[in-house]
Amino acid sequence: MKLYAYCLAEGLDTPPNTPGISGAPIKLIQVEDISILVSDAEMDLVPVTPENALAHAAVVRSILDQTTPLPFRFGTLVTAEQLQNYIAAQKPALKSKLAHVRGCVEMNVKIIQQSTGSEDIDEVIPRGPGTAFLVEKRREILGDERRASDAAELSTFLHQSLAGLIKDEQIILRPAERLVLAAAYLVERLTIQAYREKIAKTIGDRPELHFLVSGPWPPYSFANIELEFKTHFGVT
Amino acid sequence: MSTFDQVITTDEWENTDISLLETLDHVLNRGLVIAGEITISVADIDLIFIGLNVLLSSVETAQEVLRKRHEIL
Amino acid sequence: MVFSPENPLSAEPDIETSHVEEFVEQLRCVTDTLPARINIDAQSVEQGLAKLVLTLIEFIRRLLEKQAVRRMEGGDLSPEQIEELGLALMKLEAKLNELKSQFGLTDEDLNLDLGPIGRLI
Repeated sequence: MKLYAYCLAEGLDTPPNTPGISGAPIKLIQVEDISILVSDAEMDLVPVTPENALAHAAVVRSILDQTTPLPFRFGTLVTAEQLQNYIAAQKPALKSKLAHVRGCVEMNVKIIQQSTGSEDIDEVIPRGPGTAFLVEKRREILGDERRASDAAELSTFLHQSLAGLIKDEQIILRPAERLVLAAAYLVERLTIQAYREKIAKTIGDRPELHFLVSGPWPPYSFANIELEFKTHFGVT
Repeated sequence: MSTFDQVITTDEWENTDISLLETLDHVLNRGLVIAGEITISVADIDLIFIGLNVLLSSVETAQEVLRKRHEIL
Repeated sequence: MVFSPENPLSAEPDIETSHVEEFVEQLRCVTDTLPARINIDAQSVEQGLAKLVLTLIEFIRRLLEKQAVRRMEGGDLSPEQIEELGLALMKLEAKLNELKSQFGLTDEDLNLDLGPIGRLI
């Protein structure tokens, strides 16, 4: 029998009434002082449907008023034994994460930029096709560098604006994309109002950018304790 | 109570595309990962993520997954 | 807003933006990051190998391009040298594109990210 795992938390007694994947009722598994919300899952694979995604989110969210959980990623199918082994093996790291997110929620900021800034790079007059090739590459590379530094500037700008209001941050920068920045901030619950006010002001300060703000969320971006498999080929 | 000017809150939109997409961004791309298997399928296509030992190629390209997921959404 | 049982967090997270359609368009791309299927049959092993090799070559090619541009900027190459370097890199790019299309691979498939090295060179 497989279980679908939604999140783990401390200090939970009873499972929520919120229905889970395929409408299954939520059960609570206790491993020492850590509780895991699960439901029975008669499947080998979890379909990515709006209903399932929303059900997953709703279950994790349903306990946010009581405690701050560590949400599992969508699609976590395990046996009870695998779950027990995982908790036992990762106990210190999980406790540390739970302590880190305690009393907090996740707030998100996403930014779309308009221009992609390679217009004003001064030109070199090419003498032949090989040179023209390199000149174009130069323009692209300088454009890339400009975009990368713009993205970094945005990240710093936000960080400075929100200093003192955030406990932790996870920033994803995509300098070549219009959605240049996706930021997740770990914010203490008591600080949410001050955070929102500061964000509103920050948005007003940069009318040339398009913002999306969302929250509060359970701390999806601050939950993971394992190394992600890197899908980029790169040197780090 | 909103402290933002000139925004469109989700209440005012019957189409909750943005809400679903933001939710998907959280539940699909983030969250605790148990090393080993996470099993997800899109329509009839099996997608299996096998932790850090993956070095083999894909049958379906990212474009195919993208196309199928758009069909669902 | 103080967190307390009498004043719980809202049932759903607030999502606010002045540009819904733009973000819908962008977020559709961002949520499509599921890793693709793993398959252990002969054909895809071959394609997998090609992908690995081409990714490596493409990585090096891009580093070479960056270095060439850096040298051109630095002013220590004669116009003739720049022209020769450019022509050689042009041919290399064309050859790589040929190989990529033979194996049905796009730049996205090779998933290239130069990382910090790209910024140093």
